[in-house]
Amino acid sequence: MTSIDPRQVEDALRQVVDPELGCNLVDLGLIYGTEITSETVRVTMTLTTQGCPMHESLVAGVRAVLLELAGVREVAVDVVWDPPWNPAMMTPAGRAHVGLA
Amino acid sequence: MPSASSKTAPPTAATPSGPASGLAPSVGLPLRFVATGFAAWLAGVALLVARPDILATYHYNQYVVAATHLWVLGFLSSVVMGAMYQLVPVALEVRLHSERLAKWQFVFHLVGWVGMVAMFWRWDLKQVGHFGSAFAVGVGLFVYNLGRTLRRVPRWNVVAAGVASALAWLSLTVGVGLVVVTGKCTYDSVEELTATNPLREMLQALAAVAAWVNQFDPLGVMHAHAHLGVVGFFVMMIVAVSYKLLPMFLLSEVQSEWRARWSVRLLNGGLAGLFVALAWRRTWQPVAALVLIAGLGLYFAEVVAILRARRRRMIDWGLRHHVTAQGLLGLVAVLGLVLGWPGLRVTMFTAQLETVYGWLGIAGVVSFTVLGFLYKIVPFLVWYHSYSRAVGRARVPALADLYSEKVQVAGYWSYLAGLLVAAAGAAAGHAPLARAGAVILLLSLAGLGWNLGRMLAHGVRPRVVPFGPRPVVNPVNA
Repeated sequence: MTSIDPRQVEDALRQVVDPELGCNLVDLGLIYGTEITSETVRVTMTLTTQGCPMHESLVAGVRAVLLELAGVREVAVDVVWDPPWNPAMMTPAGRAHVGLA
Repeated sequence: MPSASSKTAPPTAATPSGPASGLAPSVGLPLRFVATGFAAWLAGVALLVARPDILATYHYNQYVVAATHLWVLGFLSSVVMGAMYQLVPVALEVRLHSERLAKWQFVFHLVGWVGMVAMFWRWDLKQVGHFGSAFAVGVGLFVYNLGRTLRRVPRWNVVAAGVASALAWLSLTVGVGLVVVTGKCTYDSVEELTATNPLREMLQALAAVAAWVNQFDPLGVMHAHAHLGVVGFFVMMIVAVSYKLLPMFLLSEVQSEWRARWSVRLLNGGLAGLFVALAWRRTWQPVAALVLIAGLGLYFAEVVAILRARRRRMIDWGLRHHVTAQGLLGLVAVLGLVLGWPGLRVTMFTAQLETVYGWLGIAGVVSFTVLGFLYKIVPFLVWYHSYSRAVGRARVPALADLYSEKVQVAGYWSYLAGLLVAAAGAAAGHAPLARAGAVILLLSLAGLGWNLGRMLAHGVRPRVVPFGPRPVVNPVNA
């Protein structure tokens, strides 16, 4: 059995890009946490706003990108609104990319 | 409750609050309205190039009425209605009541406005009434469909209140329009029908309506009808969706719910008063206009507060269209107040200023806002159709990659220049200047058409690039 590398999970999540902001979910601060157990990855994430029209695509993208990783057989995605997303959650690279005030 | 997927099972769909894009109808529905609207827009501007006297002469004639309905029904209503089918479910997190009804509405809408414009041009008002009735059936389906959709909204808010108000004003606008047309028809044939003929009763009722509406000053009723449509439906819809879309695109929030709510209430109150004052020629018209302007003032204040609180430094060109249109709205509101002031002397110039007022309101405020939102809505629709299922599986373009920003910027400046040159031509009653403005507008629309073509090309041939080998080293935009 292959063990899942958390670093690879994070790198994989950087492949999912918000098409409106042009920045990946990790640098946007939308990924609240990942939990790796055996062959399962559980992602807790949010979106910049409730009713975001990209909701479905981004969640499906997270699933797809993680299922491609060696050793991952199941992916669970929790979309939460508490705490609400705030730009302070973005990484410096993400802020620079989005042109944050 | 999480949603889970495995390599052996298909992905499950639901997440706790439901994905907003999953609530919207198929992309073909709004796109057919948008395509129709763009074609009508091109036709409207081309008509002004061919007949600039439409802008350069007083507006109470059949050609101005036909051109106005081409612009307002063919272009603006088409795009706004198509956009509402997409935006209302997304903005209010609720599923559209019926996509099938929306498709039927499109048929009535298309037949209705094309026939109305052609018959206005010929000044065959009996046929305007027939095609207008078809259009009204479409509007009825639209209002019913969105009304049923609004009933499902879990949390009633200022966006829902604004959309509901706009739908009510739209219904009243169409009703008043049909009544006005009824008043301009003759009913001599009623005497030739036998007493048992069911048409006789209907024609007698229409004749009674005509007798009632003909007591009013026709110019006042026409102005009242126009304000109901432009302010009640379009401006109200812009105000309502702005409270959702501006914060979403600018990474900001509505700063004062109280201010937002009162902007909608004052707009409603002011417009109701203005309608009565215009139709009944009341001298307190400026009071109603001031109430309406107070509502707009609160809206402007809220937009400024949203802009100040934004966390996204850059305001993209789509939103700059919107902000510019709000500036024009301030100008138009002041002009309207001046033109409606009791005792204002009617001269050739002030009569032409009424045309400028309508032109800046319709081709400026509303059309410029719609132009900006087209650069948000169409890329999203095409992206959703072509790339939403490829996210996480391959490299997909961002929304801004679907069109040329340089062409968009050129379109922004040329549209603004064309609008103002044509307004100057209208104010001066100078047809060649109005034509020059229309030619500049046509060039601007050619740029928009080119960009729309680029966007739609992604719908035909998506450009998906496979991911490189993993692991990826920390790219910001992958």
